[in-house]
Amino acid sequence: MKTLTVFLGLCLVFVFVWERVDVVRIGYQIERLKRDKTVLERQRDELRVKFSALSASDRVAKLATEKLGMSLPQQGQVIMVRSRPSDFHPSDIVPVELKIAKNYLPSRRF
Amino acid sequence: MAGSFSRGRRYVLLLVLLCCFGVVLFRLFTLQVLQAAELSVKAHRQHQKTVSLEGARGTIIDRHGKLLAMNVEVRSVFGVPNALANPLKIAQQLSPILHVKTDELERKLRQNRSFVWLARKLDPEQGQQLDRLSLDGIGVVMEGRRFYPKGSLLAHVLGFSGMDGEGLEGVEHRYESYLRGEKQMMVLQRDALGRTVFPKGMAERSPTPGQSLTLTIDEVIQYIAERELEDAVGRSQAKSGTMIVLDPKTGAVLAMAVSPRFDPNAVSALGPDRWRNRALTDAYEPGSTMKAMMAAAAIEERVVRPNTMVFGEHGHMTVANTVIHDHERLGWVSFAQVIQKSSNIGAAKTGMALGEQRLYRYLQAFGFGQRTEIDLPGEGAGLVRNPRDWGRRSVASISIGQEIGVTPLQMVSAIAAIANGGVLMKPYVVSEIRDPDGHILRQIPPQVKRRVISPETARSVTRILEGVITDGTGTKAAIRGFRVAGKTGTAQKIDPRTGTYSVSRFIGSFTGYVPADNPQLAMIVVIDEPQGDAWGGAVAAPVFSRVGEQVLSYLGVPSNAPVTLAMAPRKS
Repeated sequence: MKTLTVFLGLCLVFVFVWERVDVVRIGYQIERLKRDKTVLERQRDELRVKFSALSASDRVAKLATEKLGMSLPQQGQVIMVRSRPSDFHPSDIVPVELKIAKNYLPSRRF
Repeated sequence: MAGSFSRGRRYVLLLVLLCCFGVVLFRLFTLQVLQAAELSVKAHRQHQKTVSLEGARGTIIDRHGKLLAMNVEVRSVFGVPNALANPLKIAQQLSPILHVKTDELERKLRQNRSFVWLARKLDPEQGQQLDRLSLDGIGVVMEGRRFYPKGSLLAHVLGFSGMDGEGLEGVEHRYESYLRGEKQMMVLQRDALGRTVFPKGMAERSPTPGQSLTLTIDEVIQYIAERELEDAVGRSQAKSGTMIVLDPKTGAVLAMAVSPRFDPNAVSALGPDRWRNRALTDAYEPGSTMKAMMAAAAIEERVVRPNTMVFGEHGHMTVANTVIHDHERLGWVSFAQVIQKSSNIGAAKTGMALGEQRLYRYLQAFGFGQRTEIDLPGEGAGLVRNPRDWGRRSVASISIGQEIGVTPLQMVSAIAAIANGGVLMKPYVVSEIRDPDGHILRQIPPQVKRRVISPETARSVTRILEGVITDGTGTKAAIRGFRVAGKTGTAQKIDPRTGTYSVSRFIGSFTGYVPADNPQLAMIVVIDEPQGDAWGGAVAAPVFSRVGEQVLSYLGVPSNAPVTLAMAPRKS
């Protein structure tokens, strides 16, 4: 009985010590994961800033004009049209003179 | 004999042991009782570390979520001079990475100190290079640095933050209390090697980042406005320029451009003259653009109608012993033509018919002489004197935009009031405040300040202002396929030496809205001291036209031009 009590006592001490050690070990793991998370978050933020800088309008416009040979449309070259009403049918169109981009398409009647 | 010797040795041994034990007891008493408080504090210090943590500053995005300002953790590098064997060698290695002269670094590293900053808030690329070096005696700490990824775009509105992360100008300053992250002190447990451990029961909580702001600004419209304004200022060799684009129905600022620009990422070398937001700080004499508001007041008060005939005095009229000139020698013209041809004499006569009290009341109603209360710091109120202080010519002068100081923001708010049917809106640049998780905490709705004129009067004035574009001084503001309403202005600046109007320094401006029948944009362009042709219709109106055309196209506003894009065969 006495031996068993001592054994159980030792077991309790062992469990307590083991638990404390495990808590500290997990604490180190948490700290390492936290560091990894911080590094990844930092990389994410850096990439977000980089993406924003690379997609800036002035940079895109510069690349479009200097590298791709594009140019801004001149006055009158962009014409916004109203969207069709829902009951509209293409065959209802009355032919009119084509007025868009007449520098490039000959005006003609359909 | 042997027994007595043995007993003696035992006594000696006992005495020695007693002495040793006494020493231990004394030491124990000293440590545990006499020095208990002091040592307890020391132990506490060794095992616990108190750190001050600050949540990241909130981000700023445009109306479509495009990033305009953000905090990123970057490296700051310090040296421990006392621990360095060869400061020169270290300085030579660090110099190309930190972009600091070797001499300067060496001087810092030779100081008799245990800590010295070598460079603060490096670029991420510099930090990575520094990590690869791994030098003894050189340490790195992480600090939040504010990045403005679009560079100089919108710099005058965004403002900038200082080295310690506090907002110093613009939105950064105005919304400091929202943007700033929570500051928090944390106590961490350390082991014998100085590593941080989180013992059971110790809750860990990161400090809360600052809140994020969504602006009413559209990055693309801002870019178009800045590019066209910069181009106009450059071509006319002007001193500076300002452009504002408003949504006239809500007062939301879509773009606010100031030239010359600056880069908020590198602001330390620049003075206030460069980063001041002239669109709301600088008052100027508006000149003829003021005639639009004077016309609105006169029509609202039924002093005139658009077809009321006014005699132009053939270009010369004496008021209070001074002569008012027109650039055209006009005879009898309608009031609409007075505005369209920008007749000073016709406007002065109408203003005098309106009278000083009513004129002053409408100036106030349109928001002149008082801050618009836009959510940006440093706004000026302009200058509208009380009628008690007016001279005999003041009514005539104010009617043609003299003897009065307005900011570009006040002027565009006033024209927006005519555009939207007579209601003065409060201009604003921040539309939403969000928490760090992106949830909306507060939405800032459009705010009506007051009704200034009736919708009927607004329609009458719009028709008159359309005539400025079709038949008057603002033909260069025309936009193909759209009805434009606006007014040109050319004001002489005061010569600081003589105190009189300069004959060589002008402010050319244009303010208006488009489409006139359903306004989507209210804009103002102000060009300060253009060289050569300084007329508002020549230097500012073309900017209005170019920006308006591109922005309407970008917003998908359909034009009135008769266009057929695709056609099917006629029905048989």
